[in-house]
Amino acid sequence: MWQTNLKILLVVLGTLGLYTWVAGAIPQVASEVPEELTFSDDVTADDLVMAGEQLFAGAGTCTACHGTGTRAPNLLTDHAGEGTIGQRCGTRVSGLDCKAYLRASLTEPAAFVVEGFAEMVFQARAFSDAQIWSLVAFMQAQGGEVTVTSDDMERTDDAAAGTSAPAEPSGDSPLAASQTTDARVLLQENLCLSCHAIDGAGPPLGPNFDDIGSARTADQIRRGILDPNVDAAPGFDAMLGMMPATFGQSLSAIQLEAIVTFLAARK
Amino acid sequence: MALTPAGLLAQAAEAASQGTVSIPAYGSFPAPGNRVAIWVAAQVHLFFAAFVLGVPMFAVVAEAIGIFGNDTKYDKLAKEFTRLLLVSYSATAIWGAILAFGLITLYPGLWSYLARIFAPTMWVYVGLFFFESFTLYLYYYGWERWHDGRAKLMHWSLGILLNIWGTAVMFIANSWLTFMMSPPAEVMPDTAPGMVRLWSAFANATWMPINIHRVIANVVFGGAIVGAYAAYRFLTSKTDEERAHYDWMGYVGNMIAIGTLIVLPFAGYYLGREIYEYNQQMGITMMGGFMSWAWIIQAFLIGVLFLAGNYYLWVGMGRIPGAERYTPYTKWMLVVLVLGVIVWATPHTMIANRDELAAMGGTHHPFLGVLGVMSAKNTAVNLMILTTFLSFLLYRRANKRTVVPWARTGTMIQTAIFVLAAVIVLFYGVYGYFVTAIVRIGFSVYQVLAVLAAIGGVVTLDIMIMRGAESYGAIRWGQMPPRSQYALLILAVTFTWLMGLMGFVRSGIRQHWHIWEVMRDTSEFAATPPLGYAAQVISWCVVIFLGLVGFIFWVGSLAEKPITSHPRQDSLPSTDSRLASAPTGN
Repeated sequence: MWQTNLKILLVVLGTLGLYTWVAGAIPQVASEVPEELTFSDDVTADDLVMAGEQLFAGAGTCTACHGTGTRAPNLLTDHAGEGTIGQRCGTRVSGLDCKAYLRASLTEPAAFVVEGFAEMVFQARAFSDAQIWSLVAFMQAQGGEVTVTSDDMERTDDAAAGTSAPAEPSGDSPLAASQTTDARVLLQENLCLSCHAIDGAGPPLGPNFDDIGSARTADQIRRGILDPNVDAAPGFDAMLGMMPATFGQSLSAIQLEAIVTFLAARK
Repeated sequence: MALTPAGLLAQAAEAASQGTVSIPAYGSFPAPGNRVAIWVAAQVHLFFAAFVLGVPMFAVVAEAIGIFGNDTKYDKLAKEFTRLLLVSYSATAIWGAILAFGLITLYPGLWSYLARIFAPTMWVYVGLFFFESFTLYLYYYGWERWHDGRAKLMHWSLGILLNIWGTAVMFIANSWLTFMMSPPAEVMPDTAPGMVRLWSAFANATWMPINIHRVIANVVFGGAIVGAYAAYRFLTSKTDEERAHYDWMGYVGNMIAIGTLIVLPFAGYYLGREIYEYNQQMGITMMGGFMSWAWIIQAFLIGVLFLAGNYYLWVGMGRIPGAERYTPYTKWMLVVLVLGVIVWATPHTMIANRDELAAMGGTHHPFLGVLGVMSAKNTAVNLMILTTFLSFLLYRRANKRTVVPWARTGTMIQTAIFVLAAVIVLFYGVYGYFVTAIVRIGFSVYQVLAVLAAIGGVVTLDIMIMRGAESYGAIRWGQMPPRSQYALLILAVTFTWLMGLMGFVRSGIRQHWHIWEVMRDTSEFAATPPLGYAAQVISWCVVIFLGLVGFIFWVGSLAEKPITSHPRQDSLPSTDSRLASAPTGN
């Protein structure tokens, strides 16, 4: 009797031991808690890259998609013959340098979706500004030059402080706090050209800016910027909801009017 | 309300909000710490809860077979297990109390938050548990008194009522835990708990998928534990009668466990889809993030389940006269199962660092990448299910000689259905390599439907073909080699461990959130540990559970009368009445 009981015990414990061993023998990956980052004014590029790498491979869970090559473009290795992310980031969008492109990609995942992939599910609101910048620095370091500095963090901190919803990604556009009144520069800085074509070039995700003045009045254009999700432009019903509704907060009245005047004149 | 922990904490939280009382966010548990303490309490409670919910389902079905099939041994079987429930209920309640007190003392902030939203449901929970317990007492202690006629039907109704109470209790508890996974979109970090609408929190996105998954899984678990109990009793039996009885019981438990297991992946697929629908990032974390290796372990475990379940059936065919004509096929079924396990357990998308990517020469291993994709895995698992179903079919037909004139044609049609289903599964498996991911995901539905249709069609035909079948001889219950019983024990251990693993995955994908994107875990145990660590905790939970269950079984055996007659050799569980007059094979 005791022999049978012993055998049963050994079989049970042996089975449990086997499963425990197998689970311990595979690569061990933990889900870490994102660390709060604070950088001093003299933060070095290496510091930023190191922090970004930890976030990228750990709590950011970036590697769940970037690295598989199926859910998202490879960032650490070549993608589509264009090199690593640090090599290709500066040429992805006309008019945006590497740093601005990477930051905009993180804070506004819908802005630049690489062809063949769905919109990124990264939720920037769960990460601090310093964490976002450290990720940008890390990605720049993958074959490119790290240009993120403490000035960038100060600038976006100031920009965030000036908006009513600092935690919202859409309020963190690369140069949202710019004081320029040049409409073309504003269109570029506010990433309007990621969806609207101008001068015969650009994606057709929103109405073309080249002849928008003949189709819409200045009043309609202004309303479209301030409250973009009320009415869809003809032919763009499917895009309703895509345009950020935050320009009323991020643009000054002078800047807004500069854009409206500029666009209304394009006939 | 003031007399319950929930009420006290709700009041304390109210006072805290007025600045009069301070509630610490976390308590402290000595080594191994808060997380493991709560983890073990929750997991062992869940094991017992699954057992006390799964076994009544088992019991009420067995009693029904006894009543409507006029077969008293099923009635005895149902009663035997209901007796074990009495002690198991106590254990479930004890571990539930440990869990509740653990949450109150170690995670008071979280508990207070949940209590303020779910307080009314906690009262309903207690009420239902009260009714459930007393229905169980009536059900068990009234067994002999309400034994015949209408009284017996009323007694059986008590069994059904017991299941209804139990399921309702589980649904309520599920709402609390699924709220932590998938709180409604309108609940934000700064939303006061008093402002959260109860029904919105209760019927959250993953509530019903978890309910369905757990109901099915409980049946599987109940069957597996019944099988393990029978195996233990078989191995320690002193008489042929006992061996025959427990051999038969083990067969019934295994049939329920494996038969229901076949349906479980579909419920899991529904749950997974709803998690993705709720939050894609959570879904990706689950399937491709740091949890991705858990699915490889799961594949390994399910492979063990399929192999052990089929092995038990194949060995069992040794005691069935006439089964020898199917024996040559088993080696081919084994080949399909082993190949299926290999494909299913092939890693694909998982976290890899730069060095690992470089070592592999790309994002996928050049060889394994082809087998690791969902097309291959879905194909493998569907073929494994078909193969297991074939094992059951051969087992069922083993000692039967058909008498209907069209039996040969019918069998050929059955074969054609099997082949057609396999071809459909293979076709969509291969085609999946040539289409986009979104189209490929849709193919899995066609594969599943093909398998389910085949199972339904073949079973229907088989019932008709076997009408009036003669017997090659009665099953020689009790004449099983001991190794078959160890297969049943391994099945139970594996099911239990797998439940622990899936519990870790479900809970772990919240990562450092108590309540996903609403309440952060700011304790020192906020990080979710790797699988190796989780495996150790799970194993300890299984040891505790099985140790206690073993004790409960032993306690139960103290009160039982010795078995004086084994199942009639001529009354097989899945054969028709004509077998009653068939000669025995002994």
